[in-house]
Amino acid sequence: MDLIIEKKQIKDWLAELKKENVVIDSKKDALPIKQYFFPPKQEIFIFNKETKELESPDYKKEIIIICHHLGQLEAMTQLDEIMGKPNPDFFYWQRREKSILIGLIDESVEVAPGGDLVLEKINSKQYRVLILTEKGKKIIKNKFFKEIDKPEIKNYLSEENPFKEMLLDSELLADAVKWSKNHKIWDKLAKKCLGCGICTYVCPLCHCFSIDDRVVLDDKECIRCRQWDACTLPNFAKIAGGHNFHKTIKERYYNWFYHKFVRAYKEYGKAQCVACGNCKRNCPAGINIGDVLKEIVEDYKKHGKSI
Amino acid sequence: MQKPKISIYDFTDCEGCQIKLIALKEKFLILGKRVDIVNWRLGQENNESGPFDISIIEGAPITQYEIDLLKKLRKESKVLIGLGSCATLGGIPGIIDKAQRKKWYKKIYGDNYRPRGVDALPLSAYVKVDFLIHGCPINENEVIQAMEDLLAGKEPKYCDYSVCFECKQANNPCRLLDNFPCLGPIIQGGCNAICISGGSPCYGCFGLREDAEKKNLIKILEKITDQKEIDRYFSMFLNKVNK
Repeated sequence: MDLIIEKKQIKDWLAELKKENVVIDSKKDALPIKQYFFPPKQEIFIFNKETKELESPDYKKEIIIICHHLGQLEAMTQLDEIMGKPNPDFFYWQRREKSILIGLIDESVEVAPGGDLVLEKINSKQYRVLILTEKGKKIIKNKFFKEIDKPEIKNYLSEENPFKEMLLDSELLADAVKWSKNHKIWDKLAKKCLGCGICTYVCPLCHCFSIDDRVVLDDKECIRCRQWDACTLPNFAKIAGGHNFHKTIKERYYNWFYHKFVRAYKEYGKAQCVACGNCKRNCPAGINIGDVLKEIVEDYKKHGKSI
Repeated sequence: MQKPKISIYDFTDCEGCQIKLIALKEKFLILGKRVDIVNWRLGQENNESGPFDISIIEGAPITQYEIDLLKKLRKESKVLIGLGSCATLGGIPGIIDKAQRKKWYKKIYGDNYRPRGVDALPLSAYVKVDFLIHGCPINENEVIQAMEDLLAGKEPKYCDYSVCFECKQANNPCRLLDNFPCLGPIIQGGCNAICISGGSPCYGCFGLREDAEKKNLIKILEKITDQKEIDRYFSMFLNKVNK
């Protein structure tokens, strides 16, 4: 038996959910769904100068987020892992724990990579329900879902993605990117990259941030704020005294790759990339990250191991 | 503790950035409790002369009188701040060049006109400026942030990200990807991408960001439009700082 929802009923189901919850459809978002748990700019805690007390804005809102890409769901599983160790990121989990992720996927799902609930398209009229968590289970106990024996299941292939294939060998990628530090490709990219940071903002896995403290104008409170940082920006690796570890765009851009493919592999055993293609689609300079990796890996295979 | 003495001056400009100060409303009143605005031509009748703890200057110094006053204010002020693109970049008055200015004076006002304007350059062409609050007009938050920092004894800090950060947060499609010119990627953020959200390109009124990859952006712009148009983009606000 499969649990099914009719395509035309999805709208009604969401409308029903909206009565009691905040439901966000991320379809038209320029930024990935990480933004709902790790906002681009966030006041994380406030120190009251009079009472000497520290308070953190209590986050009560429960949200349901509809996500349309398997890559984004996979990224959330990875981001949860990143934000969970060595110590859980309090401010991330404060929001994340109160959220439900629903995947509404128009392709066949082999293995659901994340989320609480995945609705998988099985034919032009129906979606099959894949329950991943208790939270997901709760929101489908209603009239919109029904059990059907042997529904018609068509195969909706995802677009071919050679980049995704490459990710299967994280070790090779880590070795190749590490080896490529002096590769000419970084000089070439330094003449192309605008350093705008868009690739890191649209990446569902980039999670670097900077911290700023402000004393509020009335002098009564101090607020600690955090906001997304981007390793392509000039102050990212600047430290006290003005020293900068990555002075040029070439070093900064390489660092982006190094973190994603070398450091991430060392720390988590896999690349911090899900081949969603967001960086490529949004890069105003037209840099195709998949092609860059391919070139590096090919050269590494040819020359790298002998050096 | 004595309140810091503030002066607010304006040179050649539209005075719009001072209006933005008033547009701070309640926040301006809070600021008023923490500082003593002792000289403000546009805002009050009784004005004292220097020295000042902080001088905020709007507009581009265009006449010799303004240039001399700027130099005097520099000597009399512990901290000198430029307010708005005219002061920080030369801005709109800076679109025209010195030679062109002479030609147009003659054409518009005739041979007998004795021009007072020399050239429109940013404050920093004449004196050391401690902090620049860019924008045409400025963004209120930037003033508040700079004042918060100064009052807390901190050095105000420039926004180091580009317009793109806030543009993406505003959910705008990228103009460059849609083949429309935009200076956003190399321009300092803090404006909330207000122009792009309103359907206009970024002309760079917040000035070039630190380490702006200008050459790389020009390569992209050359694929989108012609040299004349690119020059127009770079002369709107950046004419006097972009050399």
